[in-house]
Amino acid sequence: MKTVSNFMRAMLAIVWKDLAAEWRSRELISAMLVFALLVIFIFNFALELTPQTRSDVTSGILWVTLTFAGTLGLNRSMAVEKDRGCLDGLLLAPVDRTAIYFGKTLANFVFMLLVAAIILPVYSVLYNTNLLLGGLLLVILLGAWGYVSIGTLLASMAVQARTRDILLPILLFPVTVPLVVAAVKASSGYLKALDMVEINPWINLLIVFDLVFTAIAFLVFDSVVEE
Amino acid sequence: MNAKSKWLSVLDVVTIVLFLTATILVFFFAPMERVMGLVQKVFYFHVATAWIGMLGFFVAMVAGIIYLATHRTRQDAKKWDIVAVAGVEIGLVFTLICIVTGSIWARPIWNSWWTWDPRLTTVTIMELAYAAYLMLRAGIEDPERRARFGAVYSIIAFISVPLTFFSIRIWRTIHPVVIGSSDPSASGAFDMTPRMGLTFAMSLVSFSFIFITLLWHRIRMGYLADKVEQLKLRLTQ
Amino acid sequence: MDAPADTLNYFIAGYSVIFGVMLVYLISLFVRFRNLRQDEKTLEEMEDE
Repeated sequence: MKTVSNFMRAMLAIVWKDLAAEWRSRELISAMLVFALLVIFIFNFALELTPQTRSDVTSGILWVTLTFAGTLGLNRSMAVEKDRGCLDGLLLAPVDRTAIYFGKTLANFVFMLLVAAIILPVYSVLYNTNLLLGGLLLVILLGAWGYVSIGTLLASMAVQARTRDILLPILLFPVTVPLVVAAVKASSGYLKALDMVEINPWINLLIVFDLVFTAIAFLVFDSVVEE
Repeated sequence: MNAKSKWLSVLDVVTIVLFLTATILVFFFAPMERVMGLVQKVFYFHVATAWIGMLGFFVAMVAGIIYLATHRTRQDAKKWDIVAVAGVEIGLVFTLICIVTGSIWARPIWNSWWTWDPRLTTVTIMELAYAAYLMLRAGIEDPERRARFGAVYSIIAFISVPLTFFSIRIWRTIHPVVIGSSDPSASGAFDMTPRMGLTFAMSLVSFSFIFITLLWHRIRMGYLADKVEQLKLRLTQ
Repeated sequence: MDAPADTLNYFIAGYSVIFGVMLVYLISLFVRFRNLRQDEKTLEEMEDE
């Protein structure tokens, strides 16, 4: 199983490279964080967040914030790759292309989780609601993975177009609608402590989405980066 | 593909005849529906355009898959990209018709221009995704890369459609949207009489022919556009 | 039984959209085809020079 361990090593090397680079500069995470916090603040003034309405819109606000911050992170992460020519270097290496894809996706996944890890307590404090629930964390894991799995693929295409910054959200949002709908409804279900019977369809949809799009990205990524 | 094939001219005529027949059936043969009145007749072409909209996007996905599978080994893989663009363009035009007629149909029946019904909502999201497809292509100059990326996105976009549909449908059944309606029992559903059935079938058939004819013409145009692009590239070298 | 609703206007609106958009698309195809043929002719002449 040498190819599997090579694959894993390549993938982890890329994750490590991205995380280490980010740790040194911290520019990506700080941008995503500041942006996310600003969005939460704006929502407070844009919507009437009285205690009654709050329970309905909290999960919506959470996911809008996460997806917008996530898009920011995806854009930056691939743009840096391209501008510094790292991508070309990576492609010259004798590594399975899909290891590169999974490495980048995992790194983006970690960044998105980091953002979530900070905004959940912040939101809980600002609005006096406890967001640190196990079920909610599960939804965030599933939702964030689905988002970055398709987002990394689309970002690697968008970054090569002239209209790169605006193009990624335009490509990403229509195809991630099922993911966002499911994530919002599932989060809302956990927050309102609904019966599992009502939450299960959404969790299932999230899992299906994750599997389908990870598989597609796995099959197709090669065609995106070949030159 | 310079000279217009004789078969295409034949197809043109057949399509026009079928379309005129379907139109006449809708206007004069199909009965008026008991509750909704004349607007129900919009349904015949509304469903037909939905059908060829989806067909166009499906053709684009299949062409995309074939392109990705063959572009490294075959010189003529480019033709699949031409087919894909044609499929998306036709799909976009007819899906637009479908969305607008869907809204027009909804207005007198549910008293609102938009009902967030799963099918119409999914179709609109699909339309946006394929508009994004064209924007992606417009932003890439290298034709080979444009074809590859287009193929990838057309596959992703099409696969997302059933998922989108299910997510909105579950969303609707758990949280039905309350819409102001002049008639609480209005549901937009109706029983089809044999005359309606015939008109409906004829609409589907004629639009299918419209699809094939337009696709053929658009593919021919794609070949010509490609030739012009090649000429330009050669001259500017 | 009530008379059917008077929805003639919506019927007209619907079919105007259907025929209108199809017509616009057909015209756009014609115009684009013609422009491309002209371009082709011009470029081929330029190439022969």
